[in-house]
Amino acid sequence: MLESRELTKKFGAKTAVDRVSLKLEAGHIYAMLGPNGSGKTTWMKMAAGLIKPTAGDVLFAGSPVGIASRRDVAYMSTEPYFYLWMTVEDAGKYYADFFEDFSMERFLSMLRSMDLNEKDKIKNLSSGMVAKMKIALTLARDAKVYMLDEPFNGIDLLARDEIRTAILHAAVPEKLLLLSSHLVEEMEAIADRAIFIRMGKLIEVRDLEEMRETDGVSMADRYRAIFGHGEVQA
Amino acid sequence: MLRLLKYELRKTLFAKLVLLGITFVAEAVFLAGFWGNRENTLLIGAALLFFIALIGIALMGILSLMTLHRDMNTRQGYMLFMTPNSCYRILGAKVIECGISLLLAGAFFFALGLLDFSLLLGKDSNRQIWDMFTQIIHAVNEQVVLDTPHISALIFSMLAAWLCTVTTAYLSDVVSSSLLNGQKANWIITFLLFLVLNYAISKLLTLVPASLGTITVLLLQGVVSLVLAGIMYVITARLMDKYLSV
Repeated sequence: MLESRELTKKFGAKTAVDRVSLKLEAGHIYAMLGPNGSGKTTWMKMAAGLIKPTAGDVLFAGSPVGIASRRDVAYMSTEPYFYLWMTVEDAGKYYADFFEDFSMERFLSMLRSMDLNEKDKIKNLSSGMVAKMKIALTLARDAKVYMLDEPFNGIDLLARDEIRTAILHAAVPEKLLLLSSHLVEEMEAIADRAIFIRMGKLIEVRDLEEMRETDGVSMADRYRAIFGHGEVQA
Repeated sequence: MLRLLKYELRKTLFAKLVLLGITFVAEAVFLAGFWGNRENTLLIGAALLFFIALIGIALMGILSLMTLHRDMNTRQGYMLFMTPNSCYRILGAKVIECGISLLLAGAFFFALGLLDFSLLLGKDSNRQIWDMFTQIIHAVNEQVVLDTPHISALIFSMLAAWLCTVTTAYLSDVVSSSLLNGQKANWIITFLLFLVLNYAISKLLTLVPASLGTITVLLLQGVVSLVLAGIMYVITARLMDKYLSV
């Protein structure tokens, strides 16, 4: 469903993503894992069509990402990106104006379950509240692909539970979910596949169930093995 | 497109309301001078209104340019560029918003000016102010005629030229944010590009023969400016589409 071929992005002399070829399939929740600066966010932004690659392609359903794919790919950036004059409700109306798959009813229902008030000005919200609102906006879309960059950043334990529930609710066989996070244990409870990236290079993509059965290791163990000692174990 | 336009108008609404508020204060000063027969107050009000009109029309373009710059260089740009709209539509909405704002601001200040002049000339004692004003204008340029067709053509030509300048600034800013992003001397190159383009446009506008008469020249220059603004728009949108990362 979502594929990158030899995808590369350079910022000056620095290579953020280095010839990454990946094929992501519907019906799975992928965890994109790697330390800071490993290229997870850059890869996602290229898949969302926000950043132009230096080389390579990103394809959605066989076609290069662009205007058409933005109708089906719901991307949530880790940074706040809302206009300062907006209220929470304005942000919902904005999404409703531009995304046909957005459900205002679902958005408002998610806001209520997360104890957010739609009349609040976004600039007055705490970072945790903004994070919850971003999740609600993104998951209120009936998209084919959801890409959530650091969805648990700055969020307390109880709110994390709410977000985890919302994410699992969105996971149906015909949809693809891709999440990045530093909170590996948190991701283990959600994802069924893991993508390990280091210094812009793809290390491996693993099916977590298979990995547990064949290697007898958890995702966190594998993460430690790959990133903890500087050596990649086969 | 209409939805994009709605949000473009909303982004600059606050600054426009502030400008409107300041204009009303200046108008109040003018009217207080007029009805209170206080010549100094009246002149201060008139001068304020004149400068606010000039700054206000300039501000319409500057606000539009600032919005584009912010959309390309801050996270707020995700709101715009993650929507299923092409760069042609996104930039088109910005150009139309700028054009509408310029037109409305121009019409508003022109109407206010006409109203205030009518009030002023309604009193015989104020005829000398008008005479003084026309003498000053003729001292600067003998060929200037202060009637409605000439003033309307002049305003059209000025607004079109300003829209063309704004789209030239769009192009320069997009070159800076896409092709030259992260490079040394980015801003110097961008500024030089803006100056060179404006110089070339001003030279092109002087090619309209003066023998056609003032009104025709002004109208033709306005049309040429609008065509050039259209060309700038197409080049800018193409650059955004091919090279811009937000």
